[in-house]
Amino acid sequence: MKSFKLLKVSIIAVLLGVITFAFTAAPERITVKGSDTMVILAQKWAEVYMKTNSGANIQVTGGGSGVGISALINGATDIANASRKMKSTEKDKLKQRYNSLGVEVACAKDGITIYVNAASKVKELSIKQLGQIFRGEITNWKELGGADENIKLYGRENSSGTYVFFQENVVKGDYASSCQTLPGTAAVVNAVKKDLYGIGYGGAAYAEGISICKVKKDDNSPAFVPTAETIKTGEYPITRYLYMYLRNRPTGETKKYIDWILSAEGQKLVVEVGYFPVK
Amino acid sequence: MKKLNSILFFLFLLVAFNVKAQDPAVNEKLTEVNDKVNGLLERLATDEADLSKLTKIKISGYMQAQYQNFESKAVQPNSYFSLRRVRVKFTYEATDGVKFVLTPDFSPGNFALKDAYVVLNDRWSKSFSLWAGKFNRPNYEVEYSSSQREMPERSKVIGTLYPGERAIGAKLEFNPVNVPIHMQLAVLNGAEGITVNSNAGVNLNSNENKDYDNYKDVMARITYNLSLGSFGGLDFGAHGYFGSLKSNALTTLSSDYTTVSSIKVGDPLKRNWLGGEFQLFADVLGGLSIKGEYLAGKNASVGYAPFSLAGVAKPGVANFQNKFAGYYLYLIKNLGKKNQFAFRYDYYDPNTNIKGKDISITKFTPADLTTLSAKTSGKSDLATTTLGFAFHHYFDDNLRITLAYEIVQNEKVGTVGKVVDSYTNPDGTSGTMDYSSKVNQNVLTLRIQAKF
Repeated sequence: MKSFKLLKVSIIAVLLGVITFAFTAAPERITVKGSDTMVILAQKWAEVYMKTNSGANIQVTGGGSGVGISALINGATDIANASRKMKSTEKDKLKQRYNSLGVEVACAKDGITIYVNAASKVKELSIKQLGQIFRGEITNWKELGGADENIKLYGRENSSGTYVFFQENVVKGDYASSCQTLPGTAAVVNAVKKDLYGIGYGGAAYAEGISICKVKKDDNSPAFVPTAETIKTGEYPITRYLYMYLRNRPTGETKKYIDWILSAEGQKLVVEVGYFPVK
Repeated sequence: MKKLNSILFFLFLLVAFNVKAQDPAVNEKLTEVNDKVNGLLERLATDEADLSKLTKIKISGYMQAQYQNFESKAVQPNSYFSLRRVRVKFTYEATDGVKFVLTPDFSPGNFALKDAYVVLNDRWSKSFSLWAGKFNRPNYEVEYSSSQREMPERSKVIGTLYPGERAIGAKLEFNPVNVPIHMQLAVLNGAEGITVNSNAGVNLNSNENKDYDNYKDVMARITYNLSLGSFGGLDFGAHGYFGSLKSNALTTLSSDYTTVSSIKVGDPLKRNWLGGEFQLFADVLGGLSIKGEYLAGKNASVGYAPFSLAGVAKPGVANFQNKFAGYYLYLIKNLGKKNQFAFRYDYYDPNTNIKGKDISITKFTPADLTTLSAKTSGKSDLATTTLGFAFHHYFDDNLRITLAYEIVQNEKVGTVGKVVDSYTNPDGTSGTMDYSSKVNQNVLTLRIQAKF
């Protein structure tokens, strides 16, 4: 019995030691992972911030919104970038592991851009038509006033937040099986650039070397391209926030970094990269 | 100039001749390469199709190995290593919205199929899902996996009401897309994990794949997630259980040991209770949560009728309908990313009609001992309070080590009704534990969990 009491005392001592160790401040390196749409923005933020804050160490990787949120849940990243909102199942996992609902920081705005080949005759589409195209109900450009050629669909993988957002807000059903999934928005843009009859979607910042198709809310509405103005006024119909998710309220270096991202200086970089500021 | 033109013309003829001469060879090579590429593309398409089938299967699981030390003299051996769980979960998403789940448990000497169900999600509103098979009963602590739970075992009230956690039946869930409300309505066999003895001592409810009776149990649960802004969130809700077990005895006793004359063999013994729950999550220097649940109602156990053996009448055991109450309260604090501390206060009173001082006194002892086999108030009516402390260290997302200590306190009996438990020591000598004072039943658990 005596030895058991000794065991209990030893256990309590070890416990106290571990708790003390847990609260000891560790050197801060901030890891950021997630949305491929946001990678170029997150890298720009990190690069500029580290230049002006010599002690800061920020590591940015992509992988997709789903991958970033999974990494946040399993403790592999400090910040998850996501181009969609966190799902309730993901919040439940965060609750179970960290007893926290997570912290959501809207850090930029984006207009999901419809990319078509520079030679395409189709210059504008309605949300309804886009839904029909990506569900595989409209399969020929002729039906949209273009050439008599099959439409080639390019999209993102299902771990992508853009894939989920576009599906929920535009496709409103299952993607056509003919839709070729590509790893990253840059790959979608490249595919459309090379394919005369291709169409794809993705973040506004990647739209280079292709033609941006105007989008209208319905058949009777005017069509718009995503610009700072049309996104601010809500005229461009496929807009979304880009988010950063954290397990808990940020402290220390992470808080300083997020405050800087939301400052005028950080938001200026949002515009430089090709997205739109939150305010 | 003329000379130059002649040379150029000659070179042109040479190139043209060469190209023409190579045409069949080049074309042949091109055709060969083209065929090879087409062949590869075809194989790639086949491989992709095969691979996409494999991505529909998800395999996860966990294993818990532990060392436990029991301070109770009645537990022998009182310290040992064991494998508490060795589970693998197979999930197959046949098509969008259809899911099959199989979870075998490979614990040594205890192979069992824990989950086996199909889920059909409605593809239109994306709000409803229909479950059929063997799955967790709709209750917070039941549905909370032991791979995540902060104490080694579920609280006593939940463990008693929902033995084995799972039941066979069908369940409808409603989780509207834009409203944080969740509803569950289940129809279950309901007798899972309950022992119903025949007068020969054989468990009549041993077939795990069949109901014990024709009475089906209904469970309903509703919860709401309330956001508290940057502070955190509060989830709260209620659940109800409305079920019956078929009476197997001539006599039924109620919580105060009076006879309920209206219940005959074959009649339903009611098992009805209600519960309220909350989970508060707050961001206070990292994650903190307080979770609690209170349940109260009427439970039942099934007895058996008296019988005669070689001309000697043997008394039976009465059915018993007990009014109970129980609750638990957790306080959990995350300490950084890797450590977590948890405290739980857990109370269960299996018979709210009787206090400890009333145990075994005449009032609570049925008089008719010719038909009833010593069914008197006793240890099974005593309330239990458990104070538990646990510390978890996460090496990473897959590996968790837990150190837990639970202090178990029994309700003490009065001086009139003496309740004792006898036990045998390792050396063969025997002793008794007297419930008129605290009986030491504390447990120390050291557990390592690997999860994938």
